[in-house]
Amino acid sequence: MNPLLSFLASIRWQDIVDVVFNSYILFRLYVIFRGTNVIRVLAGLALLWVFQRMTVALGLIVTSWAMQGIITGAALIIIIVFRNEIRNVLQAKNLRALLWGVPQKSSRTPIDALVEGVYELARKRIGALIVLPGKEGLEDAIQGGTPWGGLVSKEMLVSIFWNGNPVHDGAAVIQGDRVTSVGAILPLSTRDDLPQYYGTRHRAAAGLAERTDALVIVVSEERCKVVAVQNDTVTRVDDNLRLRQLLADHLGLGGQDTAGVRRERRELLVAAVISVLCMGSIWFSFAKGMETLTSIEVPLEYMNRDAKMQIVSTSVNTVRLHLSGSSALINTFRPDQVKAKLDLSKAIDGQNVFTLTAANIVVPPGLRLNRIEPPEVQVSLDLPQSKHLPVQVNWVGTLPAGLILESATVIPDQVMVAGPQRALDQIATLYTEKINLSELQGSGRLTVKLALNPADVKLAGDFKREVQVSYTIGKRKE
Amino acid sequence: MRNRRTICVAILVWLWVAPIGHAADSGPASPEKLFRLTRAVMCETIEGYEPNFEAVAFSINAGRISCYTAFEEVMATTFVSHKWYRHDELVSAKRLTIKSPKWATYSSIQLREADKGPWRVEIWDARNRIIKVLRFSVTD
Repeated sequence: MNPLLSFLASIRWQDIVDVVFNSYILFRLYVIFRGTNVIRVLAGLALLWVFQRMTVALGLIVTSWAMQGIITGAALIIIIVFRNEIRNVLQAKNLRALLWGVPQKSSRTPIDALVEGVYELARKRIGALIVLPGKEGLEDAIQGGTPWGGLVSKEMLVSIFWNGNPVHDGAAVIQGDRVTSVGAILPLSTRDDLPQYYGTRHRAAAGLAERTDALVIVVSEERCKVVAVQNDTVTRVDDNLRLRQLLADHLGLGGQDTAGVRRERRELLVAAVISVLCMGSIWFSFAKGMETLTSIEVPLEYMNRDAKMQIVSTSVNTVRLHLSGSSALINTFRPDQVKAKLDLSKAIDGQNVFTLTAANIVVPPGLRLNRIEPPEVQVSLDLPQSKHLPVQVNWVGTLPAGLILESATVIPDQVMVAGPQRALDQIATLYTEKINLSELQGSGRLTVKLALNPADVKLAGDFKREVQVSYTIGKRKE
Repeated sequence: MRNRRTICVAILVWLWVAPIGHAADSGPASPEKLFRLTRAVMCETIEGYEPNFEAVAFSINAGRISCYTAFEEVMATTFVSHKWYRHDELVSAKRLTIKSPKWATYSSIQLREADKGPWRVEIWDARNRIIKVLRFSVTD
C-alpha cells in the first residue's frame, strides 16, 4: 500500500481529537496572551524545545541535557517573572472569554477626536506626549503613570495637558477609545542624531519608540509643531490629514474599517493554522516516531461462562502479546492497561478450542497488536452431576499387640456427592479421613469426617461431612 | 359344552401365563436361583477351609490375606469372581468355580509395602452381577 495511504489509514479518531483539542488550547493561549510579553517568551521557549529535540535526535547528550535544564528553569522563571501579567489577563477575563471569546484588540479609537485634540493643543501652545501602543505591551518600558480611564475627546486631551493639571508633565497612553493612563514616564533616547532643538519630550518619545512598536505623538510647546515617532522614524506632521493617515495606519483602521477586522481575522487564522501544525508535529513525534516492539505476558480472563458449567482445565492461563507503537507510548503504558479476555458464552460441555484474535485483546490507544502466543486456547468445561457413593473407613496404624479389628460399620454407609462428570467418573468410593488404630484400645464409636477428593467434589443433598463409625475390637486367638 | 368352555379358558390362561414364566427363565435369574452366599469374610489365613483371624484391618506384617466365601443351594456348577481393588483401582481378579450343592472357596493376595491403604473385594456371579462387597484396610 502507498505509505501515505497506509499512514492515513492508521490515524484513529482519538488521534484527531487529540490534535484538535491541544491545538485549540494552544490557540486560546495565543488569543488570551497576544499583545503581552508572555507570548514572545513562550515562543522563545518553544524554540528552545525544538532545539532540544534536535540535539536529542543528533545524539548530543550533554547539550540536550543542558537544554532540558534550561527549559525547565525557564518555564519556572516565566511564571514568576510574568505572574502579574498572567494574573491580569486571567482576572480580566471571564470563563467564556477564556474558552471561547476572541477579545477585540481595542475599541475603535476616535481618530478624528484625537486629531482635533492634538491640533487644538498645538494652537494653544500646550505641550503634549501621547502614546498609542501597538501589539507589544508597554509595561516594561514606561514607569509610573496614573490610571485615568476617560473617553478620548478633544476637551479631555486639552484638559490633561493643561499647565495647571498635576499630571500634565508626563505621557498620556491611549488604548482603544480611552485614555488609560496619564503622567507616565517614558525612557529617554540616547540617540545623538536628533535635532538639537528637540527637548526632553521628544527624546522621551524617541526612547519609547525605540523599545516598542508604539506610535508616540509629540506636541511642541514652544514651536507648536506636531511630530509622530515610531520605531526609529521621527515624522513631522504639518496637517491634520497626514496625522489622521498615520493614526489610521498604526491602529489598523487605514481608510476602511473592515480592513482592520480582516487583518485581525487573518492573524487569528494564521495562529490557528500554526497551532494545528505545532500540535500535529508534536503528536507525530510522540505517536508515530521511533516505532518500538515489546512483548508482555498478561493473564487470560475467561468470561461469560454458563453458570451451570465449571471450567475443568485450560491449556493456558496467560498469553504473551507482541505489541508495537512509538517508543514514548511503549515506555509509558502500564501492564494493567492491557487485557486478554475470552468469551465462553458459546462454549459447550466438554473440550472447546478457541482462536485468539485482536477482538480478545484490549490495548491502550496508539499501540498495535502484532501477535498472540499461543494463538489457540483449549478450555474444558463440565456440567456438574450427582452420584451416590459408598463410604469406606480408612484405617491406618497398628492395633496394640494381641488385638484385632473384627468389624466396623459406618453410618451412613453411602452419601450423595456432586461435582464435574469427569471427577465423578474417576471415583467409586468416598473414604473417611484416616483413623489411627494405635489410638484404639477396645470397641467403640467415633465421629470422623469424609475426605472429599478431588476438591471439586462436594456433598449433595442433606448429607453431612461427619459420619459415625462403630467398630468391634477383639483379642487374637492364636 | 361346559367342559369345552372350561378347557378353552384354561388354554387361554395357559397361553397368557406361559410366556411370563418362559421370560423369567430366560431373563437374568436372581442369585438365589443359582446359589446362596452364606458367608463372605476377609481373613488372614484359611485352615481346613475355614477362615482364621477375620478382620477389617490387616497389618502389612500379615504377609497374606484372603477373601473367603461360602455358598449353599448351588443349583449347578458355576463360578464367581473375586475382584480386588485398592483405592478404586483393580489389582486382581480371580475366577473361582463353585459346585452343587454347597461349596466354599477363597482367593488370596500377597501383601507388599506399597499395598497399604483402603481395599475392597467385589464378589461377582457368573452373570456379571455384584453379590457382595467386602471393605477393609491394609495398615502398618
